[in-house]
Amino acid sequence: MAEDRKWPGHLDPVVEEFRACFDAMERYELLFGYAKLHPSPLPQEEWNDDNQVHGCQSRAHVICSVDESGGFLLRGGADAQIVQGLMAVTAIAVNGMNPSEVAEMEPDYAEAMGIRSSLTPSRANGFLNMFKRVREEAALFQ
Amino acid sequence: MALDIEAIRGDFPILRRTLPNGKKLVYFDNAATSQKPQCVIDAMSRYYEEYNSNAHRANHTLADEATTALESARERISSYFGTSPDQMIYTSGATEAINLVAYGWARENLGEGDVVVLTEMEHHADIVPWQQMSIDKGVEIRYVPIDTESFTLDMDAFEVALDGASLVCVVHTSNVLGVRNPVENIVEMSHSVGARVLIDCAQGAPHERIDFDSLGADFVAISAHKMAGPTGIGCILVKRDAMAEMGPFMTGGSMIKRVTTEGSTFQEGHAMFETGTPRIAEAIGWGAAVEWLDQFDMREIHNHINDVASWTAARMREIPGIRIYGDPEREDSSGAVSFLHESIQSQDLALLLDEGGFAVRTGHHCAQPLMDALGVPSTNRASFWIYNTMGEAESFVEYLGQVVERFA
Repeated sequence: MAEDRKWPGHLDPVVEEFRACFDAMERYELLFGYAKLHPSPLPQEEWNDDNQVHGCQSRAHVICSVDESGGFLLRGGADAQIVQGLMAVTAIAVNGMNPSEVAEMEPDYAEAMGIRSSLTPSRANGFLNMFKRVREEAALFQ
Repeated sequence: MALDIEAIRGDFPILRRTLPNGKKLVYFDNAATSQKPQCVIDAMSRYYEEYNSNAHRANHTLADEATTALESARERISSYFGTSPDQMIYTSGATEAINLVAYGWARENLGEGDVVVLTEMEHHADIVPWQQMSIDKGVEIRYVPIDTESFTLDMDAFEVALDGASLVCVVHTSNVLGVRNPVENIVEMSHSVGARVLIDCAQGAPHERIDFDSLGADFVAISAHKMAGPTGIGCILVKRDAMAEMGPFMTGGSMIKRVTTEGSTFQEGHAMFETGTPRIAEAIGWGAAVEWLDQFDMREIHNHINDVASWTAARMREIPGIRIYGDPEREDSSGAVSFLHESIQSQDLALLLDEGGFAVRTGHHCAQPLMDALGVPSTNRASFWIYNTMGEAESFVEYLGQVVERFA
């Protein structure tokens, strides 16, 4: 996986865990689990128009920042567990990274995880819009 | 004679397909758009293969054949809706039909303080044009609320709202709730106070035979694509005296009598409102669709759909955490079953159902004021039509139960 992957190496075990699932429903079940284990969730009280990710049928909100050591921090929340789960995986990927690396990242890990529906823009389930917003905000911290 | 659902399914090639994950398609998104029978696909292909040409524009053979087909379709469609071709204006669908009433009739006849009565049950297509008319012309909009226990219109409030009304716009059948409104009563009550009436039949026409002349409404909006026809075409049926009060909406080619550098004169009747090249293939396809539908008794179709929807709703109510919005078990309800699960978000549920092959709709269904009245941001909606079977309903309920057990 190391040669062709376009995501940070520390995400490999997560991608592998999804790849090992028996079928799509098991992957969704795992994603629901990750939604509950979001490393940097954004509580609903902090959801507002400014941090809303537009273009999603479900509600999704992100706040990006850089900590004192220069590491990127993605805090996010969504009412749909599939989007929240993908946000959690994304946070695992990008938290602590250099913002310039985040700005260059591609969302391929979701496809590699086998979450087919997350990569179809017409479904507008929020992941790609969320990812685009994270990348744009990361570019501002460079 | 009972409907032969398997034979009907045989007319729809798309129902034989499987999804990329290998699951067989179960199409329960009919309130968004219905599937198309082979005869509709063939009629449209034949036009493009054999006589594609612009209508009303030339004397050559192909143009004559295209014009004849376009006008034959108008005769067939208007006859299907119980009226004559001169009372039918082709539009792109129900949305354009309602906009045509707003910009063609209301803009000419309503002004500051005139009252337009709407309901909370309306699709955005029957709200936003009137809000724009309120901005442009100063008309007052009154909304009739729904009773959120029975999911029906508050008819006492309707009677109060009618006072001084110039126009009443009501949806025949709710795309969210499946509730059929008492449109005959609404037409009578509205006319008794001198108001014109627009009935949005986008959802009603696929479920019962709309007879325009008997119904007595001044305007009826219809979309083809929800009743086996193609997308991109519909019509507004307009009473002759109401059409005489209308002015042009879109202007340009086809709708003129004479254009000079000083100004233009316009055609009369429906021709004044059909600007530019007509949707010829789509009209021909819609004509084929009503001919296909005409072989059935719409009461039998309604009963079949209502049986499947009411059985499904009753079983769904037994699944823990499922709440249904609407009353699909009512005899006059259409096939829409809107629902939510108390802990599985609607988008998640739709994707999980899709994984099982079940196509259902999720969102606000272009009815946000209704969502506000119901106190929810969105719903899932399974909507049934003529080709859906009790077997599909059984597999849906079983799968939904498994999803809830696994993900709630």
